[in-house]
Amino acid sequence: MNGSVKPKRPLGLAGFAATIGITMLVGGLAGAGSAIFGDQPGAVGLAITVVLIAAAFAVGFAACIWWWRGIDEAAREAHKWAWWWGGSGGMAVGGVVLLTVMIRADTQPLPASVGTSPADIFVSGMLALVLFQLAGYALAWAGWWLKHR
Amino acid sequence: MNNRLKVLRAEHNWSQADLADQLGVSRQTVNALETGRYDPSLPLAFRIAKVFGQPIESIFTED
Repeated sequence: MNGSVKPKRPLGLAGFAATIGITMLVGGLAGAGSAIFGDQPGAVGLAITVVLIAAAFAVGFAACIWWWRGIDEAAREAHKWAWWWGGSGGMAVGGVVLLTVMIRADTQPLPASVGTSPADIFVSGMLALVLFQLAGYALAWAGWWLKHR
Repeated sequence: MNNRLKVLRAEHNWSQADLADQLGVSRQTVNALETGRYDPSLPLAFRIAKVFGQPIESIFTED
C-alpha cells in the first residue's frame, strides 16, 4: 500500500463508453477485414480470418482490463454481483424458455426470424441466451446500485 | 458495520465529491459507504483513516 500517491479519479461513463466504442470499432474492422481479405478458398483465407479475429479479441480484452483497473471497488463489486446473479440467472431463465419453445416446435411453429436451417436455429438460440444474460446482468447491476444508494 | 464518515466529512466541510476525489473512488461509492450499505475493503478503509487522520477503529464500528 502506497499512501503517498494521490489516488486517480475512477473511470466513469466516459471510460465505459470508450471501452465499448474501441471494442466495437476493432471488432467491426476485424469483421470487415475478414470479409474482404479472408473470403478466399484454402488455408490462407482461414488464417487471415483467425489472425484478424484473434487481434480483435486481444484489443477487446486489453480495453476491458484497462477499464476494470480504472473503476473503483464498489463498481467492481456491482459488476461481479451482476455477473453471477444476473448473468447466470438470465441464462437459466433463457435456457428454460428456449427448451420449452423447442419442445413445442412440432405443434407451435417457430417465428420466421429464427430461420429454418439447423445452423440458423442454433445461432438464434445462442443469441437469445446472450440477450437473456445481458438483460439479467443489466437488471442485477441496476438493482445492486439501487440497494446500495 | 457502522461508520462516522458523514459526520467526519461534515466536520471538514467536504462534499461527497471532494471526499471521493481524495479517496480515488466515485461519489456513488462515498454515498454507499456513508449510508452503511457498502463495507469498504481494508485498503480503502486505511485510505479513509489516513484522509481523516484517525485510526480505523474510531471511524468504523461493529453493528
